[in-house]
Amino acid sequence: MNIFKTLFILGLFVITGAAIAQEKSETQERKSGHYNNNRFKQLYQEFSTPNMFRTASGAPGPNYYQQQADYVMDIELDDKNKKLSGFETITYTNNSPDVLEYLWVQLDQNVRSKNSKTPLISPSSAAPANLTNRFVNKYLKEPFDGGFNIVEVNDTKGQPLPYIINQTMMRIDMPKELNPSEKFSFSIKWWYNINDHVNQGGRSGYETFSDGNRGYVIAQFYPRMAVYNDVEGWQNSQFWGRDEFALPFGNFEVNITVPADHILDATGQLQNRKQIFSKEMMRRYETAKKSFDKPVLIVTQAEAEAASKNFSTAKRTWKFKAENVRDYAFATSRKYMWDMMAVKMGSGSVMAVSLYPPEANPLWEDWSTRAVASTLKTFSRMTFDYPYPKAISVSAKNQGMEYPMICWNYGRPNLDGSISERTKFGMISVIIHEVGHNYFPMIVNSDERQWTWMDEGLNTFTQYVAEQDFAETYPEAIAPHKKYPSRRGPAKKIVDYMAGEQSQLAPIMTKGLNTYNFGANAYAKPATALNILRETIMGRELFDFAFKTYANRWMFKHPTPEDFFRTMEDASAIDLDWFWREWFYTTNFVDIGVKEVKQFFVSSKMTSEVKEMLAARGISEIEMPPMVYLIDENSEDFEESMRNTKLSDIETLNEYILNNIPVEERSNLKSPNYFYAISFEKPGGIPMPILAKYTYSDGSSEEVKYPAQIWRKNDEVVRKVIASEKKLVSIEIDPEEETADIDISNNMWPKRNTVSAFEKFKNKKDSK
Amino acid sequence: MVFPLLSGASAHKFYVSITKIDFVEKQESLQITLKIFTDDIEDALQANYNPSLILKRKNEAPAVDASLENYLLQKLKIAVNGNEVNLNYLGKEYETDMLVAYIEVAGIKELNTVTVENKILMEIFSDQQNIIHVKTPSIRRSLILDRDEPGGKLNFN
Repeated sequence: MNIFKTLFILGLFVITGAAIAQEKSETQERKSGHYNNNRFKQLYQEFSTPNMFRTASGAPGPNYYQQQADYVMDIELDDKNKKLSGFETITYTNNSPDVLEYLWVQLDQNVRSKNSKTPLISPSSAAPANLTNRFVNKYLKEPFDGGFNIVEVNDTKGQPLPYIINQTMMRIDMPKELNPSEKFSFSIKWWYNINDHVNQGGRSGYETFSDGNRGYVIAQFYPRMAVYNDVEGWQNSQFWGRDEFALPFGNFEVNITVPADHILDATGQLQNRKQIFSKEMMRRYETAKKSFDKPVLIVTQAEAEAASKNFSTAKRTWKFKAENVRDYAFATSRKYMWDMMAVKMGSGSVMAVSLYPPEANPLWEDWSTRAVASTLKTFSRMTFDYPYPKAISVSAKNQGMEYPMICWNYGRPNLDGSISERTKFGMISVIIHEVGHNYFPMIVNSDERQWTWMDEGLNTFTQYVAEQDFAETYPEAIAPHKKYPSRRGPAKKIVDYMAGEQSQLAPIMTKGLNTYNFGANAYAKPATALNILRETIMGRELFDFAFKTYANRWMFKHPTPEDFFRTMEDASAIDLDWFWREWFYTTNFVDIGVKEVKQFFVSSKMTSEVKEMLAARGISEIEMPPMVYLIDENSEDFEESMRNTKLSDIETLNEYILNNIPVEERSNLKSPNYFYAISFEKPGGIPMPILAKYTYSDGSSEEVKYPAQIWRKNDEVVRKVIASEKKLVSIEIDPEEETADIDISNNMWPKRNTVSAFEKFKNKKDSK
Repeated sequence: MVFPLLSGASAHKFYVSITKIDFVEKQESLQITLKIFTDDIEDALQANYNPSLILKRKNEAPAVDASLENYLLQKLKIAVNGNEVNLNYLGKEYETDMLVAYIEVAGIKELNTVTVENKILMEIFSDQQNIIHVKTPSIRRSLILDRDEPGGKLNFN
């Protein structure tokens, strides 16, 4: 027999349908060529070329640099007139290899200036019915003027510097260019009217309590340096109110003057604690520093209630220093209670802190500081030891907003003191989320203005892990639930969004401002994608190491999306380009199912299909080596008797075994009597692993995970043959609902009518 | 940042509800499932009925169900093949931060067109979007409704 014939015959084992299909198609018209549209193509076009600043491994390169901005600020709150004023000196260090002609400073408060363009880009419509207060605000009142009033911009000698304000950005023109490694210092004097964040919105401002006191949560309150880096140049994209911030790291010395009876906390270490604290507060503070299991009150409820009655006109200055932070914020009020506890961190400890008015009790006293502590533990395990001395959670109505070492969180009891489950879990979740932001983006300092998902997505993912940990540490907090009822993270919860109307979806890789459904797009979908990577694609061990590597590589630096994508692959040896492409660069969804199952039977008799193939190639049947044939039960070669054929009945096979397999090894041979060809279909775009659960007639089952690469050559249908000793009774795809499959009606073979949530509800109701 | 639990004052929250309408031919029924953020619908019920209504899993006041039914049936109108149909409110349950309400329309033998008007929450949130997914055994169609266009018609011929 010649070599070609041998190859052909051997080929029969692997090619069957495909060979025939190829012959048929050659008679058709030629199709035109195409680009490489393979879903497993590497992301060379989407990613920028690695360079000396950012390497192909996803780490900072040898020439990586970042700018530094140091601030010395004197801030004063005018509680009576709800005004904030400040004088700040910024020292800017040019660590870049570039010569800078000017500096860009961010004036975020200008989003609330009278001539802000933000309202102009928000489409509005005429409501048929309007709540009176909103109608008055909208149509009758002059718009609130909460923009910056820049009093002066001077150099260090007090000489005015030229500047231009373009909405929320201010360009400072320096007397001469700033060369690499040079510093430039300048000062800005400013003030603005503080907004009522409850009624006017905003992530900074005041709320008014029923006793006339105000609680101030103050942030993006001072002119802040914009980021200059190797990917954006100046990140001077305007602040429209939604997408957040991009800020360089620096050191801060801040003196904040507030009414003498206020309790205040802020980013950084308090420098004049002895001057501010009473002896009793000092004693409690020392106790708190050693209390690792429960918070210690520094200011009690009775003390806060007493302080709320005197509207002192005296002033007091709180002095802080903060090192290596990208931003600065503070909270101040007469209303605040204050508690703290210590959290072990590496060889030392840090403080978990809460500030809240009596209105936040009973609730905050129990769970705020504990949630802070629990979050620091989980996030530190997933990334790096928390490098700052403290993390503060402040109670602020309707807020959920993060700054370095301090954040504002919602969630208060009803007026009668009752607490709904929704309020409790909302409050614990928001604290875990906002405290988590200390890691992403306060320390792993991604560009929020451009990529909302990089901090919100990574943080929401880690929040999910932290919520589950919190429930384990404090089962009494979540009872009667056994697991923490997380809103985001589990694959199943993203299905409604991903199955949604395509015109309302945007890829994750979209600037936050331009997404349709901000929460699902920038928080839930990336968090779910990471959770799926961890649980289903990579496994916890490889994922956690890679995730930690990313966090440590970019701690106190400015990463880009590619730095994250590249590191996750670099540290795990898993090619994830297909996953990033589908989940992050497209709006595709997952839908995988069983299309068809065919049963085959063994025979030693040559089938007519094979005979035809031999005849077509001029090979005689006698030339064929001993073969075992698989016969489709629907083919004409099939005979009922074949159902009872056992492997031991196949002569060619017996002969081969007798001649080739030693006696002692024969007992190790399997004896499958059932052969199935299974076709899996993929109506969804995203190639995902096929998670198949095979159940057999004896009730046993087996789960097989076919890696996503099974789809690399056929994007629609793939086939697998199962050889089994037992009869196959059912196949289920993704039985644990871990891939976000949007349509599970094709996930079962034989097709089973899945009972919809609607029918379950109706049945439950009927049976009552 | 996260979106606050409450209050239309925040410009940041995304207001959306999802209404799935499945035509189950065998049962001659339209099975309607509404998913609404619990805090949003609580705002609406408080504004329209009683400021003290609180939505919760346990020990919820019976008035909640009564006002919810009244509210939903007022805001949701459906016509099948050109004729307005009766909506039968079955009840609701809670799913993490969502309220899921079930409504049925009986006696639907065939489905040529569905007209849906869904004004839920639009009176309190100006940027409320109500997404409608209608599914027959063979066809899926969607509508995105907002204040400017609170209704739409889908063809299944």
